Amino acid sequence: MQVLSSGIGEFRMPDPDGHRAYIREHKPRTLINKVMTEQEAISKFVSDGDYLCYDCNMIMRGPSSLIREIIRQGKKNLSVGGRFTYVIVNLLVATGCVSHIDVGYMGVGAALTRVLDKESKITVTEWSNSAMTMRQLAGSLGIPFIPVRFLSGSDAFHYSGAKLVKDPFTDKEVVLLPALNPDIGLIHVHQCDVYGNARIFGPSVSPVETATASKKVIISTEEIIDTEYIRRDPGKTTIPYYLVDAVVEAPFGAHPGEVQGLYNSDADAIMELFQACMEPSGTGLSQYLEKYIHSVATHQEYLEQRIGLARLQALKQQAEIKEGYYL
Amino acid sequence: MTRATDFTETEAMICVVANMMEADKSYWVVGGGPPRIASLLAQKLYIPNLAASTEDGVIAPQPAIPLQPLMQFVSARASYRGVAWTNMNTVCSHASLGFFDYGLLATLQVDPYGNINSSFLGGDYYHPGRRYGGAGGANEIASMCWRTILLTRQEKRKFVKKVDFISSPGFLDGSPGARERAGLPADSGPYRLHTPEAMFGYDEETRYMKLMAIAEWVEVEDVLAKMDFEPLIAPKVARLKPPTEEELEVLRVYIDPAGVTISEGDWIHL
Repeated sequence: MQVLSSGIGEFRMPDPDGHRAYIREHKPRTLINKVMTEQEAISKFVSDGDYLCYDCNMIMRGPSSLIREIIRQGKKNLSVGGRFTYVIVNLLVATGCVSHIDVGYMGVGAALTRVLDKESKITVTEWSNSAMTMRQLAGSLGIPFIPVRFLSGSDAFHYSGAKLVKDPFTDKEVVLLPALNPDIGLIHVHQCDVYGNARIFGPSVSPVETATASKKVIISTEEIIDTEYIRRDPGKTTIPYYLVDAVVEAPFGAHPGEVQGLYNSDADAIMELFQACMEPSGTGLSQYLEKYIHSVATHQEYLEQRIGLARLQALKQQAEIKEGYYL
Repeated sequence: MTRATDFTETEAMICVVANMMEADKSYWVVGGGPPRIASLLAQKLYIPNLAASTEDGVIAPQPAIPLQPLMQFVSARASYRGVAWTNMNTVCSHASLGFFDYGLLATLQVDPYGNINSSFLGGDYYHPGRRYGGAGGANEIASMCWRTILLTRQEKRKFVKKVDFISSPGFLDGSPGARERAGLPADSGPYRLHTPEAMFGYDEETRYMKLMAIAEWVEVEDVLAKMDFEPLIAPKVARLKPPTEEELEVLRVYIDPAGVTISEGDWIHL
């Protein structure tokens, strides 16, 4: 196949057979109880140097409590698939967790404005939001690359890892994106059983691709439901159990974000988070991290001691739209 | 319809765009800001079943307005009464198949061939003056919708001869077939560019930006003074209609009561 041009960005080389070998060795096929605390899940399944992906973000049904635990445990040298994010990448960069960012939309924040500087040790590779989810799709299909009709022509292509080739079938130009198989995928869901059969209601970004393409998958869930409910209504299952390594019960796990049909986003808490991230000196963010992450041991403590029952109940009441979720 | 006399620049631009939206066409609309507000206004006043879908794959929602700041997509309110909740790859595949007639986008910078920058301003790639979020979802919208409609402000620093970074493709170098040679879908590309003061198109022969219409409160030279390059100018430059009181009421009372988007820009008094 004739390669017409190649992006110069660094990226992880796809390895479908290596991935298959990992799956064969490490993923249990039987129904085993995978419920554990967020400390156990993050310490057991997130290693320094891992490639991290998450579905959605800290405003909408993202795995906020798991992200906070990654920061609490001080993971290092993570590569991050920063697509469709607002402040997660900034938080992880500011707390020294990150060595590489693949950019779809990496969001905003004072820490990010410095990452492209020559002195920065963080490498950045440009893509786009759908380029990242298409890379995950290729990863979830077990194939090494996927042809798409976008990204090329732009400078984003030049600083990506994509290639423009002559399609061997039609002899026309087409863009190839390398598959992405993250080491760890984090997904926050509405309901899940103890084995990892998970349900998401409502819109999403790429939860299925994230779960399917990742070597290790941690699900945080608003509630754990009995497997009997899963078997009675299998059409509602978004992610089947054998993709999943850990199930963490995390009511309000998306806070300060919303979970559609259950609770609204916490506008004051989001404002506090954004202001902390945008403040140039970084002292605001240090105070934020101390207050909401380091000085509380668990998500439960975060909810009880930093947010409080009254505020959480109000967020539930504010979630007026129920159609399509639990009705 | 009562002609309004006092409104912001952003309101004027949003109303022009909303009036031009078409009931029998489909739109892929970027995240938030003026493009999203314009489609909400069109839907509320003129086209209830507007086929406007979001970056994350909510197909033709009828959102519960007002939307909260930062929550203009993937939220329950933003996704309300869609006909389908899909996901990013699904909506992307629909665009790849040619289902979206128009892409609706905003930009930091634009050049004469409609190439747009949302990645960084100033300096070079490794030493950016100010880094922004990245290409985001705009790249696939600008690449694969049949026609791209862009919204931005009329400022010299935004209309530049060469953008600091092409995040999303316009006509690239403007040469015939440049997009096709890059592997982008045939016959797609920039179509309109709206600012509060003007509407631009692109010359069919040269693909160079062309001034087509201006607001009532400016002249052609006022617009040109706010550009770093000189566009082509249509033989007859039309006048854009100002907002109506009805449109402003819907914008201010129902769609953006906090004024997050519509209060941007100077006030115009006719």
